[in-house]
Amino acid sequence: MIAFSRPFWPLFLHVLGAMTTVGAILTALLLLLAAWKRPDAVFLRRATFTTLLAAIPFYALLRVFGQVMYNREKDAFGGNDPTWVGIGFIFADAGALVLLITIGLAFWWLRSGKAIAARIATGTSSVLLVLLTIAMLAMSGKWGS
Amino acid sequence: MDKTQWLLMLHIAAAFCLVAGSTAAAILNVLAIRSEKPSEAAFLLKLIKYALPLIFAGVLGTLLFGIWLWHDLGFGIGTGWIWAALVFWVLASALGGRGGRSQEHVREAAEREAAAGDTMSGELRAMLRDPKALAVNYAAGVATIAVLVIMIWKPGS
Repeated sequence: MIAFSRPFWPLFLHVLGAMTTVGAILTALLLLLAAWKRPDAVFLRRATFTTLLAAIPFYALLRVFGQVMYNREKDAFGGNDPTWVGIGFIFADAGALVLLITIGLAFWWLRSGKAIAARIATGTSSVLLVLLTIAMLAMSGKWGS
Repeated sequence: MDKTQWLLMLHIAAAFCLVAGSTAAAILNVLAIRSEKPSEAAFLLKLIKYALPLIFAGVLGTLLFGIWLWHDLGFGIGTGWIWAALVFWVLASALGGRGGRSQEHVREAAEREAAAGDTMSGELRAMLRDPKALAVNYAAGVATIAVLVIMIWKPGS
């Protein structure tokens, strides 16, 4: 089993980054859902934006050390990456885009206080959580290997 | 996917629930500490209860699927790193439970102050920043990370 022969640090930092990214996005989603009843609450706007900004370094750990492991192990795949590797990359990269869009929406909400910004951000952060969950399941279950 | 892959996936999914839920609780606690009004601190601390089902599912799932994997992968009963992970798992659960009870106590105090004028008193500020409670929460986090380190490192295997 490949996970049992990997070097410690890249795998640990990749997994820790993924877990904390999910935690930060989950927090942002809870704050955004709470904001449906009080979209004008300044502290919720500030808390959501700060939380989403905190997700950036967590996401960087996930993505950078995922790439480090791939670079070490890609020869073992013989140019034919397994399904779980493909899903991991596609969903992580799509997730980065959705995260940036969500941060932009949270910034719009922070500055304007418009409820629509919070509501769209609720949708995008839900999508992000689903993407990260599917990637996690695919990679931990080694789908298609 | 064979049985072992299923078990690994469920074990890792449970670990995700545990660490992601704990991260959410930690972020909400930090946001509550930084809040300006008791009503805001109470609201943020109250949101932690929505992360609790995830944490509980993670605590139970990591243990259940971990023990199943222990048997399935044929590790011996005397495998040191598994016992070390179990010790840290118990420590993390105990400290997390104690930290949670302390947060609940602070939330109740914040709700009382919110109802009585919503001005942050020095007493509530001190409760939010209580070094003892923070130390318990940080220790729970460190113990959880230690389980993750041991499970990935597998020292001696």
